[in-house]
Amino acid sequence: MTAVTEAPPASTPETAPPRHTGRLAGLLGALAPRARLLGIVGGVVAILGSQLPWATFVLNQGAYPELATLPFGFTGFRLHLVILGLATIVVAAVRVPAANRIVRNLGIGIVAVAVINGLYITVEGGGLGAITAADGAVAFGSVVALIGGVLAILGSAAGGVEPRPELDWNLPLWVEWLLLVVIFVLMLLVVAAALTSGGQGGVVNPYSGAVFLSFLGAAGGAFAGLNASGLLGYVATLSERHRVFSVIVLLIVALGLPLTSAGTEYWMTVASNIGVYAATAIGLNIVVGLAGLLDLGYVAFLGIGAFVAANLSGATASAVGIHLPFVLVMVISAVVAGIFGAIVGSPTLRVRGDYLAIVTLAFGEIFVRSAQNNIGGLTGGANAIPNIPAVAVGDFRFNESITIGSVQLPSGVMYYVLIVLLVAGVMLVFGNLKNSRLGRAWIAIREDEDAASAMGIRTGPIKILAFLLGATLAGLAGAFFAHKTGVVAYDSFRFLESVTLLSAVILGGMGTIPGAVLGASILFVLPEKLREFSDYRLLIFGLALVLIMRFRPQGIVADKHRRAELAEEPEDAAKEAPGPLPTRVEP
Amino acid sequence: MSEEQATSPDDKVGTATGEELPPELQAPPEEVVAVLAEDMHVATGTREPILQSSGVSMVFGGLRALNDVTFSLGEGEIIGLIGPNGAGKTTFFNCLTGLYSPTSGQVTLRGKAMPKDPARVTQAGVARTFQNIRLFPSMTAMENVLVGRHVRMKQGPLSSLLHGPRFRKSEAEAHDRAEKLLAFVGLGRFSDELARNLPYGDQRRLEIARALATDPSVLLLDEPTAGMNAQETEATRQLIFAIRDLGVSVVVIEHDTKFIFTLCDRVLVLVQGELLVEGSPDEVRGDPRVVEAYLGAPPEEIEAQIHAGATTGSGTGGSGLQEGSTG
Amino acid sequence: MLSTFLSQIANGLVLGSLIALIALGYTMVYGIITLINFAHGEIFMVGAYGGLATLTYLMPTFIAQRWYFALPVVLVGGALISVLVAVAMERFAYRPLRNAPRLAPLITALGVSVALQEAVRVFYPGATAAIPFPNLFIEGTWIIPIGDGVPIRYTGILLIVVSLVLAFGLERFIERTRMGRAMRATSQDRDVARLMGVDPDRIIVLTFAIGGALAGVAGVLYGSYLNNINIDMGFQNGIFAFTAAVLGGIGNIRGAVIGGLVIGLVKALGGQYLPGGTAYDYVWIFVVLIIVLVFRPQGFFGETERVRA
Repeated sequence: MTAVTEAPPASTPETAPPRHTGRLAGLLGALAPRARLLGIVGGVVAILGSQLPWATFVLNQGAYPELATLPFGFTGFRLHLVILGLATIVVAAVRVPAANRIVRNLGIGIVAVAVINGLYITVEGGGLGAITAADGAVAFGSVVALIGGVLAILGSAAGGVEPRPELDWNLPLWVEWLLLVVIFVLMLLVVAAALTSGGQGGVVNPYSGAVFLSFLGAAGGAFAGLNASGLLGYVATLSERHRVFSVIVLLIVALGLPLTSAGTEYWMTVASNIGVYAATAIGLNIVVGLAGLLDLGYVAFLGIGAFVAANLSGATASAVGIHLPFVLVMVISAVVAGIFGAIVGSPTLRVRGDYLAIVTLAFGEIFVRSAQNNIGGLTGGANAIPNIPAVAVGDFRFNESITIGSVQLPSGVMYYVLIVLLVAGVMLVFGNLKNSRLGRAWIAIREDEDAASAMGIRTGPIKILAFLLGATLAGLAGAFFAHKTGVVAYDSFRFLESVTLLSAVILGGMGTIPGAVLGASILFVLPEKLREFSDYRLLIFGLALVLIMRFRPQGIVADKHRRAELAEEPEDAAKEAPGPLPTRVEP
Repeated sequence: MSEEQATSPDDKVGTATGEELPPELQAPPEEVVAVLAEDMHVATGTREPILQSSGVSMVFGGLRALNDVTFSLGEGEIIGLIGPNGAGKTTFFNCLTGLYSPTSGQVTLRGKAMPKDPARVTQAGVARTFQNIRLFPSMTAMENVLVGRHVRMKQGPLSSLLHGPRFRKSEAEAHDRAEKLLAFVGLGRFSDELARNLPYGDQRRLEIARALATDPSVLLLDEPTAGMNAQETEATRQLIFAIRDLGVSVVVIEHDTKFIFTLCDRVLVLVQGELLVEGSPDEVRGDPRVVEAYLGAPPEEIEAQIHAGATTGSGTGGSGLQEGSTG
Repeated sequence: MLSTFLSQIANGLVLGSLIALIALGYTMVYGIITLINFAHGEIFMVGAYGGLATLTYLMPTFIAQRWYFALPVVLVGGALISVLVAVAMERFAYRPLRNAPRLAPLITALGVSVALQEAVRVFYPGATAAIPFPNLFIEGTWIIPIGDGVPIRYTGILLIVVSLVLAFGLERFIERTRMGRAMRATSQDRDVARLMGVDPDRIIVLTFAIGGALAGVAGVLYGSYLNNINIDMGFQNGIFAFTAAVLGGIGNIRGAVIGGLVIGLVKALGGQYLPGGTAYDYVWIFVVLIIVLVFRPQGFFGETERVRA
């Protein structure tokens, strides 16, 4: 963990290259002339580290991945380190724009891989001896790689981290399109690799969490490096330029996931769950991200949609006992959820701020309690509503596998297709709303409700509309959820789920479209991968919320254009209480 | 922001004459004004009364903030509202814009009673700016003005959702108008800049553009030159003249009497909630009662009176930690 | 009939004084920094576990077996743990966000709440399920001789008495002492208080500490009364306490106590007489909460609108 505390100083000298301030000023100043050399050495050391042994002995739970007790290996995390190291050397040696910034981020990636694997072996192997020297064997791989990463970061800090360049080239249309296609396909492959890396977590596969985290660290470093070079920004510009084209390609690419290595029933199910929560989170994003109204009972709308669908699905346990076509069920679920959304939202006419959050929480709790008590016989209470039949078109049931030609697709693939389309539709709705008269009115209300009202915006109805539309989207997702999982129980819609959804929105970045999806993915993939930590899951989750609020309140995908309710402090807030305040750490 | 700029008169002697102003401070070009005037369809020429108040009084607790104020704004007129601190100018403004409903008396717009809700007042054609700038800080200048177009745009929730041809048409029209308005106030170059990143004077101008976007027939400006330097003040004067040329009637609150006297057709002096004097700038300037009101009762004294009145209104008591905090 | 009614009143008063004790912490913190400290319910829960730990791990059997020795020690132990956690929470989670936009501290509070609950579940031995908690007061029940007799356990009486005494003491403290005046000043205007030589940071810490101590005491008494504790106890009772604080007018000490008693009675009587029975008693409390927030957000005793833009 020492390495992690080393990293922050690297980000301090954000300004003019040669001037260093802060604790490490003297050191960095002295190192400045050797900055490039330091980067190259860092890369070399990292590669060297990757080829040393990483564990002194075979751990109790079995051999650590990538033959960690032996020298030499070009697979797994060792391969990742070699790639990161080579990239560092090349970038530091050849003067590319923003070289120091790239090197810094690559260095952070190296540090992450070294720390994750080193820490894992230390903890599982019972002490520092496991990654240094014990029983006559030496294994300094992680330590050496860590040093390499730190050297690279130091070098970049000494050289001065440049601002991110903004790239733009004038390429022929077809080249730009081709570029986008290639990049999106690459993204799909990376996502598939991330999902499958380490395999499914569980007893038989004790190291899946470590492998996955290490992959994330390496990929994160590489990604941050690309971002620093301005290439990602260029891709973003490109996709903004060809918006419709990008959306279509992205949709097709997303539908291609079942064809990759992640095309198993297990991952189809995980992806469907992510989709449900992503769609719900986007709905919540309308309420919280755009209109700035905090809703702490939002998962109730997902529940209402799910229970409505369950009752209309023909499940034997349902009180209503009628079976409507799935599409109709979806519409009804959405409408019912929307009506409840308007009801829950109606206190916004009189209540603002924190108090509104509490009102929504109370509504959420009332829903859970009522569902728990099987209100009106509609929710099954503690018995839930089981055996909800799968969606069927003609004779084909959505939970079966399909074979196209010689390719057999995993079962659940049709649900996957359905949820991808649903999420795409919800994203479209969100995007369209955001860029319309209505969306501007929401944002205006978020920014300054009185001024919005003075601009002729009838704030009351428009706020209720935010709740209504958000709840409608959640209701849609709920209908899907009921059919996909086959069981709807009140237990799935507790307060903690609302908090999780809210966290997904915040983690991803409030008010942004990809943010909610990214946030939901992270919050649902991590627990799947880190099964051996499942006891600590919520603990880590709670602490993570605190840390995010402290260090990166705007989330991963910061809304470039607008401060979503949380990002940065408003100028007048600073005036409210001057005095000795703890300094804010800039991410 | 809240503190008023105590500009001494000699500050702006030089600038009222023809010193070269930077481009964004110059009066809007005539062709822009012409195009906008056509867009906004605001009738010009007649001097018929458009905004009227009769016997408006406003009582807060034990304090009489406004007492029987009657006035009338003619079409195409610029009226100035001056008075010492705490004279009730902003209260009067808030009565005119539906933020407060007067304790007695009534406000009419073109003979019809003014609606109670600020949003409907705007819809009816009365727009305002705020004493302490209230822009939407994280929206761009363009988006701020687009929000101003809200009431004039025909876009229901459904078309917002589907982005059909009618949606695109109304968006295009709104953007077009917003661009013209930004050019009109001299902010054409800053349309993609976040409002909070604009310099202070530009923020004031943006607020005016946003208010104009609602196609008002009456524009109420609450201290539009507070905190501005002499040059910017002069630019604001030109801008208000140009707004009048669009056919919009204007009411201005200001502390800076020199600014008011060189801008307005008529000036109203409000002292302790009462309309003391009304007349042309020359008449008002020479009126001994005005001089007395300004010199005889220093603002501190009036303010002290107000505070005395305010505290008698709300009692203390209970064992609360937080008793008198404001909302 | 009458005795059912009266015994429900007695139940309601016991629960109500418990909730009042927690509500005091909510109301004080909100009064000072206008933060809904969501995690306050967890401080209450931590206090119960802290008290139990004191009893189980730190106490010689000689003391543990005699309630008049054990009770004060356990109360102090529980309160101490709660104070520590509350102060640490203020220092590391809330203070850095004091000037952040409004949503940030609220979400942080949610995070702290989840983390505290989980920390206890993971690290306290056996906390994955409910843990038995011994009665720390005189065993038995007093039958109040009204009608057919109204039973109330001695522990319940203890709870009521302790709550009222502490609330009264707190009110005196805030009204009469120098520190209390500093607290009131800070809640009115932090900057002016600073100019008057009050260190707002110290006052805020003090507020969290007092709130924490009261919650810790409440936690121990809760365990002693119900004879078992679980990690969910904080969230639920925390929400009730928040409701009580709002009901009484947030920021108002006496209001919090009365609000707590009202909530206790609503739960007890609602469970007895309203449709749905005890299964829905929670629902009634939330209904009360919504109605109060919508129609009288300043509470019964609040004078000014405190709902901020």
